[in-house]
Amino acid sequence: MRDEKRILIVDDDHDFVEAISCFLELNGFSVLRAHNGAEGIRLAKTKQPDLILMDIMMNERTEGFFTIHEIRRDPALKSVPIFVLSSFCTRLPDFEIPSSGGWLSHDMFFTKPVDTVQLLEKIRQRVGIAV
Amino acid sequence: MTERAPEKVVVIDDDATMRLSCRKILAKMGLQAETFEDGARGLDGVATAKPAMVIVDLKMPGISGMEVISRVHEIDPHIVIVVITGYATIDTAVEAVRCGAYDFLPKPFSPDELRLIVNRGLERRRLAMESQQYEIERTLLKRRFVTFVSHQLRTPLAAIYQYLDVLKHLEGEDDVMRLRRREWLDHCLTRIQELQNLISDWLTLAQVEGGTLSKERIKVDLNCVISDTLKAYEQTASAQSVSLTAQLPDNCLFVWGDRNCLNVLFDNLITNAIKYNKPGGTVTVSGSEARGEVVITVADSGVGIPEKYRPFLFEEFFRVKDDSVKKTAGTGLGLHISKRIVSEMGGSIHVDSEVGVGSTFYVCLPAWRELVGATEGQNDAGREANIDCR
Repeated sequence: MRDEKRILIVDDDHDFVEAISCFLELNGFSVLRAHNGAEGIRLAKTKQPDLILMDIMMNERTEGFFTIHEIRRDPALKSVPIFVLSSFCTRLPDFEIPSSGGWLSHDMFFTKPVDTVQLLEKIRQRVGIAV
Repeated sequence: MTERAPEKVVVIDDDATMRLSCRKILAKMGLQAETFEDGARGLDGVATAKPAMVIVDLKMPGISGMEVISRVHEIDPHIVIVVITGYATIDTAVEAVRCGAYDFLPKPFSPDELRLIVNRGLERRRLAMESQQYEIERTLLKRRFVTFVSHQLRTPLAAIYQYLDVLKHLEGEDDVMRLRRREWLDHCLTRIQELQNLISDWLTLAQVEGGTLSKERIKVDLNCVISDTLKAYEQTASAQSVSLTAQLPDNCLFVWGDRNCLNVLFDNLITNAIKYNKPGGTVTVSGSEARGEVVITVADSGVGIPEKYRPFLFEEFFRVKDDSVKKTAGTGLGLHISKRIVSEMGGSIHVDSEVGVGSTFYVCLPAWRELVGATEGQNDAGREANIDCR
């Protein structure tokens, strides 16, 4: 068992990745950073993170959908928790995100910007760290 | 995507030896093979496995190979189908290709032949899927323009918010922390600038589309417009070690147009030529007039635009995503606005480019004439451009 829980963040916005990663590291997590879907898939497969934070719109396309799909196709990553962090608002009917169990199969949806403390709390709960 | 789960291939053949050897060869290629002994089981297998490819023997008891082909494509039209067949049934194989099979493999075949055809088929499928995916996404984004714009506006805001939200928790007075805080604040300012550019570009676009950006039609000397713009960017260019050159004719280059719009147009093209350049590079703006048309070329010696992106270059919010330019700031609206402006004036714009060598933008505008009779035609062109927007 590793001591530190490992979080993979996949987001093409370097600033967003920097802020969230830094915060998570300060709170005892080890963070893997990916700035596109392909990098995200590679890191997910090789480093087996405990939880994945995933953006949807990357590089001007909805790359996150495909990335989640690809990650889920790996048997070893079938049940890794994935939190979607997107600037798309869930309430908009034209961008309905299929919820857990659907083909996208993610655990939680956050609209960006996120309340960092709340995000930390949810991550801790999900990876089984007592708050 | 560079990495993916092994692609699945379903083999349907009543010959057990054939199934076994196909399975072995495919497994060695890193593919996940499933084999079935007849059409009915095979089709069930295809429905559950959702394979990338189906290899099917044409001559089998039960459901015919030909029917399998059409039923497989009912399940998923993107599945690549390869038929295997004895020499005697080459005609049938040709028929199968006509029915939608990708290719056929006459029996007996060597492992190399199988590998070749499988690789070729899978590659074709990947390309087809990629371009289809791309098209779907583009249509989706077009239809959801407002959602997309709000996303574009929200992205820099989210980054700024996130920095500030984390900054609240960044305690400690050591140098590392101080440096980080400082860096983050700088990043926030950059993102605010990005937001401002986006809003102002979007406003310009709305004005061009709505016709509220002044639409006067006067005699404008492009020599002046271009020289002024080049002068305005001299410093920016030299800061990036890029030299600006004008090759303009001594006589004036008159077009019949809107001075503000023309300023915006050449501002966009020249700033792009500087932004996407390399240190030590050049930007050359030349102009000429022939047959009632003024042609201005803006040539840079920059990174160039890969061919696959060129068809989308003038679309709103399109940006080249390659690593070489990813960090260059931009709203994805400049070229779209430029194209709209040129169309409004009855002209055209296109690009020529070579990756690593540079890009040249050609702007053709109707030249000014003493008696202008083409005004009406120009307005028509403008209206047409409005219709194709969304």
